[in-house]
Amino acid sequence: MLKADLASLFGRHEFFIRRLHSFTGLVPVGGFMVFHLATNASIADGVEIFQYRVNVIHGLGPSTIMMLEWPFIFLPILFHAIVGMMIVSRGKRNVTAYPYPENIRYTLQRWTGVIAFFFIFWHVFHMHGWLKFEWWLDSVAKPLGGHRFDPARVITAAEAIQASIWIRLFYIVGVLCCVYHFVNGIWTAGITWGLWISPRAQRTASGLALVVGLFLGGISAAALYGMNTIDTSEAQAGETISDPTAPPGKVPPEASIAERP
Amino acid sequence: MTDSSDSQRPGGPRPRQINVRVRRQDGPARRPYWETFALPYEPDLNVISVLQKIAALGRNAAGKSVPPVAWECNCLEEICGACTMLINGRVRQACTALVDRLLEQNPREIRLEPMSKFPVVRDLVVDRTRIFATLKKVSAWVPVDNYLDLGPGPRQSQENQEIAYLLSKCMSCGCCMEACPQFLKIEVRRLPGESEDDYRRREGEITNHAFMGAAAVAQIDLFNSNPIGAMNARERLDVLIGEGGIQVCGNAQNCVKVCPKEIPLTTSIARMGRAATIHMFRRWFDL
Repeated sequence: MLKADLASLFGRHEFFIRRLHSFTGLVPVGGFMVFHLATNASIADGVEIFQYRVNVIHGLGPSTIMMLEWPFIFLPILFHAIVGMMIVSRGKRNVTAYPYPENIRYTLQRWTGVIAFFFIFWHVFHMHGWLKFEWWLDSVAKPLGGHRFDPARVITAAEAIQASIWIRLFYIVGVLCCVYHFVNGIWTAGITWGLWISPRAQRTASGLALVVGLFLGGISAAALYGMNTIDTSEAQAGETISDPTAPPGKVPPEASIAERP
Repeated sequence: MTDSSDSQRPGGPRPRQINVRVRRQDGPARRPYWETFALPYEPDLNVISVLQKIAALGRNAAGKSVPPVAWECNCLEEICGACTMLINGRVRQACTALVDRLLEQNPREIRLEPMSKFPVVRDLVVDRTRIFATLKKVSAWVPVDNYLDLGPGPRQSQENQEIAYLLSKCMSCGCCMEACPQFLKIEVRRLPGESEDDYRRREGEITNHAFMGAAAVAQIDLFNSNPIGAMNARERLDVLIGEGGIQVCGNAQNCVKVCPKEIPLTTSIARMGRAATIHMFRRWFDL
């Protein structure tokens, strides 16, 4: 009976739920992902720069971060993920019978969504351990291989990724799936909301989405390359930052701005 | 040109016989099974004439006497949609499926199946009640219904006429729904002792919640763009964003590729997506 009630509730609000699913995928989840990838790509310039970027974010303080994380990141991701799985389960893919490019994209959107679902849930556990309670982190998350990231020592992120070839591969596949899902999602959202209507407009939008995809793919490649190749032993040795919010000595951002003519 | 040998024909040599594999089903909710038929090759056949020859033959490839394959057809010129079926795994009309073209793709056999998204009545005949129920649900008509002389109708722009003409070609064949990965089959079994009316009513209540499909979205576009039809535009938009409405579309865009009438279905879907967005905000803020 409960299942029938839930189905009826979903049915009556189907339009709103699907549009909210589209919106959450684009703005909070997709927007956060771009910010997240850009932050991580800074590791390509060295661990000091990455540490500085993380310090700036964590300089907001734990309360502010929590106030931003839950309504603008975690809840939208949870909503998008759960509704997304319902959407996947309610479709009957037929790409072998009708192998048109858009149908392939539709099918890839489902596959990358499912991979991204598992990747993100595991990634948040792997790096952050899901919940920030002391007892949970120490007696559950850490023994199970989670909570590997320490914001005060960002090299821990690279260490966690370099721990095994499977983790490295899962990160590469997971990140690329997320990027495809977001970029193809921009294109389909434009059709859903009625931004590009004619086949010609949809082709133009598809080309623009491809440009965005290549750009984001480049940022992801920089982040993945940096995380996979940085020497964790050497970086640890040179990593002594007395004031965590101070910019790294190598590139003081204020100085570089002041030097401009 | 009487001596045109097989090797000179486009598409290469012709087989000596045509093997036709049919997915048969003896009645609603019965177990489907495959049956193969063999016919001597003749040029210039279509799938309808193949089915007629199978009926005349009266036996399968093994020589066993079997009831003829049931199928539907009407216009024989791709205008009615009655003979829509899966031919070599793809949805299309049997009347315009030319055997010589099919044998170029696969000379060994021609595979015929009923549409997979509608309940099978028998063999290749499916029950497409849902398509017509959906047209009623979306009010796919212009409500002018009396004998008074109302004078000439409002003028329509050339541009609007051109779009409306394309959309008006829809024959409700079901191709767009068959090829749509978001449009799922609904088969309601008739209960023992249930009257036909009760059964149809129960079936209608269930299909009413399910996806309307691309054809219905395009019909909402057609009748909302008509100057008289536009008077009921809001009612149609309420249905468009109701349960089973446009939101179920997943933008796989198979509909527009399989449509035999080349209706710009994905353009209609995007245009109705915009209308749905505006309608949603108008409903929220009572605009």
